[in-house]
Amino acid sequence: MFFNSLHFAIFLPIVFILYWFVGGKSKINQNYILILASYYFYSCWDWRFLFLLVFSTLLDYVSAMKIEKSETTSQRKMWLWVCVTINLGFLGVFKYYNFFASSFAELVHSFGFTASPILLKLILPVGISFYTFHGLSYIIDIYYNRIKAEKNFVDYSLFVSYFPLLVAGPIERATHLLPQLKVNRKFEFQKAKEGIYQIVWGLVKKVVIADSCAIYANDIFNHYNSMNSWSLILGAVYFAFQIYGDFSGYSDIALGTSKLFGIDLLRNFNYPYFSRDIAEFWRKWHISLSSWFRDYLYIPLGGSKGNKLFQVRNTFIIFLVSGFWHGANFTYVAWGLINALYFLPLLLLNQNRKNVDDFTLGFNFDSVRTLFSILTTFSLTCIAWIFFRSKTITDAILYIKRMFENHKFNSEYFRIERYSNELLALVLVFVIIEWNNRHKLEPISGKWSWVKLSLCLAAIAALGVFSDYKEFIYFQF
Amino acid sequence: MKKFLLFLVKGCALLLVTLVLLDVLYTAVYLQSDSRSKIDYLYNSKDKNYDVVFLGSSRVNNHFVPEIFNKAGYKTFNFGITRSRLDESALMLQMMVERNYKIKHLILQVDLNINTNDHSEAIRSLFMPYLQTSKTIREYYSDLPEYNQLLYIPFYRYMHYDARIGFREMYYSAIHKKTNVLENDGFHPLLNGPDKLVPADLSKYYPKRNKGYETIKAICKKNNIHLIALTTPMCMETINRDYFNHIQKVYPEILRFENAVSDDKYFSTCGHLNKDGAIEYTKVVFNALFKPKK
Repeated sequence: MFFNSLHFAIFLPIVFILYWFVGGKSKINQNYILILASYYFYSCWDWRFLFLLVFSTLLDYVSAMKIEKSETTSQRKMWLWVCVTINLGFLGVFKYYNFFASSFAELVHSFGFTASPILLKLILPVGISFYTFHGLSYIIDIYYNRIKAEKNFVDYSLFVSYFPLLVAGPIERATHLLPQLKVNRKFEFQKAKEGIYQIVWGLVKKVVIADSCAIYANDIFNHYNSMNSWSLILGAVYFAFQIYGDFSGYSDIALGTSKLFGIDLLRNFNYPYFSRDIAEFWRKWHISLSSWFRDYLYIPLGGSKGNKLFQVRNTFIIFLVSGFWHGANFTYVAWGLINALYFLPLLLLNQNRKNVDDFTLGFNFDSVRTLFSILTTFSLTCIAWIFFRSKTITDAILYIKRMFENHKFNSEYFRIERYSNELLALVLVFVIIEWNNRHKLEPISGKWSWVKLSLCLAAIAALGVFSDYKEFIYFQF
Repeated sequence: MKKFLLFLVKGCALLLVTLVLLDVLYTAVYLQSDSRSKIDYLYNSKDKNYDVVFLGSSRVNNHFVPEIFNKAGYKTFNFGITRSRLDESALMLQMMVERNYKIKHLILQVDLNINTNDHSEAIRSLFMPYLQTSKTIREYYSDLPEYNQLLYIPFYRYMHYDARIGFREMYYSAIHKKTNVLENDGFHPLLNGPDKLVPADLSKYYPKRNKGYETIKAICKKNNIHLIALTTPMCMETINRDYFNHIQKVYPEILRFENAVSDDKYFSTCGHLNKDGAIEYTKVVFNALFKPKK
């Protein structure tokens, strides 16, 4: 069941009605309804993996209790490691086993030996990376005494499997979500209205921007070796907007849906393409994952304490792990590495927190400089996305090489029977809308909201891609 | 909650009004467009008289040169459409009858397209703007599973077939941006091919009785149209040319012209002639089946 499917359009109103009209008076009923809805939502992909989800929930729940009740540090540590190992073990088997086995065989082969690895025919359980990290954050917080272990299994299960965030985040924290699940939610008109606006804007991002860009980006990346420089530049730009529209659109729908149930989720995107440097970009892109790595990996590793070499090491670890989290492919590792390299000068010059303030543009030299920084950061990001999107690192390198060496900048006619630059106007309009509304969650609320809502609905109907259906990219992670 | 439900009702009403307005706009644009595709040309034309009409896929669109027939005194148009299957050809013929066309001879390509009874989604979508205004199209597609949605939900058909009749095509139609499909009386010549052709593989092709072809035969019989069903050339490197023998076992009336042009210099790809090949092939067909009027 996808957020942009008819199935979800029927499912959501049913859950909404049950939640407020049947379960509205008690928190227990509300949570039961949400958890049943969440399990149904998850089983629509593959009901067999429901057992994995329930097992992971049970494991974290029991481990948390054990950690809390442990009288010695070694016992606490033992339970923490049992839980972390099993959780990461599942993730490793389902997501990374085949990658490591085949990579090992290739390595052995390069030394002149032969190895026939046993590869497993496994389907990656949808959302496993997200709910595993959910559970890990909870366990680690318990271990460090940041929170108390949750006694109520239903409440805890809902924290792990709450359907708006179950398959592609945002990766929630127990400190933020669990307290909301412990109280009876009261219906708030304003919050629900905001939720609807966010859902509609999320759909615009997904079906209008991301899926339109995907048609062009796919054609360019699949035939990059016959494209000219201009098309290859556009390919990278279109993919940048595809992945942004896809993932931030998904996050908007998730946040909006959750608001309908009176629950706030963590913000995941904050207009990242208007960042002035790569550090700012990473504070605004997939915020829940970046902050997860910061809090549960970077800081425990020592963070920005210690000498520069130590900080550089920690930064590279974070970016490499972050890249690898996305998938079992060296292209993701390369993507992480490139971002680490982008980050390096900022770190060495102590400039990584230079751009944390808000800014406006005017007719002055500072604005020109800001605009230049934004464009530079976006261009660097696009180059990194080429690695993320390409099938292999070699493909990515050849793509970039051709982009810089071809020197032809005419608009090409593609196999998809469209010209390479046909989409540019739509992307430009989208950027202007986002720029003008960058201090809000979505552009619909405020003055003329009905007019803006009708324009968004018209855009979804008239400009959306429906015949070439595309799943959300982050579902595969 | 009451306020929110009212908000939702208003939102749904807004969505409905938006969809109705878009539907009216798109349909109005397509109804006045007659130069973007052979289907909109056909829908917006009436009372045409043709001695010869060609129907089929790209193997008609790129193979038959109406000029040769026209010069010999036969008023001719090539209605072949790339990717079209016999299902769409049958509907086009029905539309011609609906638009009061007078046709003496119909030359129909029946070769690779009787390997399947399937339809072409890309070509089917081009009929959809006229679903509400053409009884023929409505009746033809009445057994589609999503027929009711296509007909009764405003703008659904434009969303369902957005790749072909979505905003992009509507915009080009609105500004009257012409395509080249109607040039040369519907014939679209192809460029020369590579020195060495990549062989087409027909080893998985099996001719079957075809619903579209049966429909075309019935329409022709009812409307006194002389139907000439024939095969069109494939390069000699084609794997399993025996396929053409099997065609005649299923439909003995089909005329064999797949060897009419065989030199590789006449081919753009193994299944498509270049411009010179098309001229040669059209001449062969004309000389075999027609005599000059003047």
